[in-house]
Amino acid sequence: MKLSDLKDMKVEALLSALNVKGREALAERFVTLGLPSKKSETYRYFDAETLFEKEYKTLDYLPKTIAESEKIIITDGVVTAAPKGLRIYTESCEQIDMEHFDPLYYLGHLLSPQVIKIEVDGDVELDLEHRFTQSETLISYRIVLYNQSNRHATLYENFVADAIKNSLVLYGYDMHIAQDSTLNVVKLQTMQSQQYNMVASNRVNVAKQANALLKSFDLGGEQGLQILKVDLDTRAHVEAGHLLYLNQDAKRGTVSQIIHKGEHSTSKQEAKNILDGKARGIFDALIRVEHAAKYTKAQQNSKAILLDEKAYMVSKPQLEIYIDELEASHGSTTGQLDEKQLFYLQSRGISYVEARKMLVIAFANTLIETVKDARHQERIKEAFEAVFYAAHQ
Amino acid sequence: MSTVMKIENLQAKIGDKDILKGLNLELEPGKVHAIMGPNGAGKSTLSKALVGHYDVEVTGGDITYKGKSIRDMEAEERALEGIFLSFQHPVEIPGVNNAYFLRTALNAKRKHEGKEELNAAEFLRLMRDHLEMLGMKSDMISRSLNEGFSGGEKKRNEILQMLILEPEVIILDEIDSGLDIDALRAVSEGINKMKDGKRSFLVITHYSRILDYIEPDYIHVLKEGKIIKTAGPELVGELEEHGYDSIEEEK
Ligand SMILES: Nc1ncnc2c1ncn2[C@@H]1O[C@H](COP(=O)(O)OP(=O)(O)OP(=O)(O)O)[C@@H](O)[C@H]1O
Ligand SMILES: [Mg+2]
Repeated sequence: MKLSDLKDMKVEALLSALNVKGREALAERFVTLGLPSKKSETYRYFDAETLFEKEYKTLDYLPKTIAESEKIIITDGVVTAAPKGLRIYTESCEQIDMEHFDPLYYLGHLLSPQVIKIEVDGDVELDLEHRFTQSETLISYRIVLYNQSNRHATLYENFVADAIKNSLVLYGYDMHIAQDSTLNVVKLQTMQSQQYNMVASNRVNVAKQANALLKSFDLGGEQGLQILKVDLDTRAHVEAGHLLYLNQDAKRGTVSQIIHKGEHSTSKQEAKNILDGKARGIFDALIRVEHAAKYTKAQQNSKAILLDEKAYMVSKPQLEIYIDELEASHGSTTGQLDEKQLFYLQSRGISYVEARKMLVIAFANTLIETVKDARHQERIKEAFEAVFYAAHQ
Repeated sequence: MSTVMKIENLQAKIGDKDILKGLNLELEPGKVHAIMGPNGAGKSTLSKALVGHYDVEVTGGDITYKGKSIRDMEAEERALEGIFLSFQHPVEIPGVNNAYFLRTALNAKRKHEGKEELNAAEFLRLMRDHLEMLGMKSDMISRSLNEGFSGGEKKRNEILQMLILEPEVIILDEIDSGLDIDALRAVSEGINKMKDGKRSFLVITHYSRILDYIEPDYIHVLKEGKIIKTAGPELVGELEEHGYDSIEEEK
């Protein structure tokens, strides 16, 4: 199929083109928001058209027998392995956000009437691996995640692709973070060699006194957009960190809306962007504080380092505030590596490439170190070095 | 007289400003050369020129090291070949672990010399004695490089790097400024430990204090971009008494 064919379709035509029944409300939202293009608010820096004009094969997503494994493995949108005892199902999604700003959130739900539902039990650490094995294919799936009150769970996400070419992955979460709980999601993704492009459209609902810790480490090339809508209830907290290390002609980043709905809710969002080659980084992030959200604290910051004169950073931190009783700050900087620091390292015999790598990792460190688990922290550094060296050898 | 480094008619500028104006100096192996001179004379500029700092554009003359010109050599190459500068103002590098930095630098040198690289444990063993001698707390090597270090701690850290890298030409730009008595003694001890009859030292200073500890063989006076006088250690007393204005350029 060709996603550009869906452009300007009316509700009925859309439902019949996608072969879904009884989802008029979702289709309505998609039609209202429109297929992403350069003119859409959310996709203005991303170049979605190029991806949508390609012809993709489609898949059936029939449930498979789930092998027992230490980690959850989702292969081409179907769960193929999971830890013993984990509550993971394929079923239809009950709670869909009808106020999402992203058309692909709705398209995702239309394409995947059956979602992968994971109920995280207790204080666990879960590894989730996404695998892609099909070329020139639209791989589309959605995950719904629930955790338990008063619990602290962590999900480590990573991505593995076979030697495939030019697929498009549309996936994303609906996360329901229970009252008084903490959910920590750490995503590590290296994209390279034209294997696939991706749009991940997420919705995170953070209940009273709950914490969402959302960390993404996006490395390499290609096109990838992470879309994030976070709703914060009373005394809910979100800490979002986004690291980009991009090269070649990558176009990747985060488009987010953090919405303070309840009193005393707090948000902290930090982006560190390192752009090499002709890469374009995107940080288009809105924090909205609604009338009811008195005594909110919101903090937002984006820093970028350009390693090449052709690299480019789009950084748009924005605050939209409807009340006075709050503390909010935001900022954005773009610069180069510090010459003095670079020289200091070189003057001790450290090569230019190595010195640059050390400084770039140092810049990224404040985010990498928020991943407390030593093994995962090491994995992030290794993935980072692999991408860095590949671009500089 | 043999020479390890020869600076001939060196001319250099920073930005549009000519700073070194035909400077001549020869460093002898195993000797300690002190350079004294008024503020702004070009002492730091000379030291930067010797290590290939990007601020300094060499516009004339030559620098030879072990018989070869290093004028067009990259900074890292000069370091690997054994030239070391302790900076007047060492930079802070947040996020780069000091021990990791030191080990990376040492291993780059060892690799260059065809030696085995050291792993973290071997490296820490090597480091322990140096730290003690320099009176450095062991947390200083687990911290970020120079970040939040006091002036004295930064200078000790420069000396630590010198001890570890074992360079052959050691340029110390005001290693003694801002040091208390204990630090001065520790730093001098570090320097003296490196004296082996072959290494050469170029010690830039404003004070005789450090020279009491490290006993220079020559005193050179740098003024307005040139070495205008070279003499033995007795010159220090004379300078302290009469200042730089009393020195006439030797022809
Ligand atoms: N980055 C720079 N840009 C412009 N001028 C510079 C720069 N660095 C040095 N200079 C100028 O070059 C001249 C020589 O400076 P240099 O630092 O070499 O002096 P110095 O002899 O080391 O002095 P001090 O004893 O104060 O350390 C000074 O006039 C200084 O202002
Ligand atoms: Mg100076």
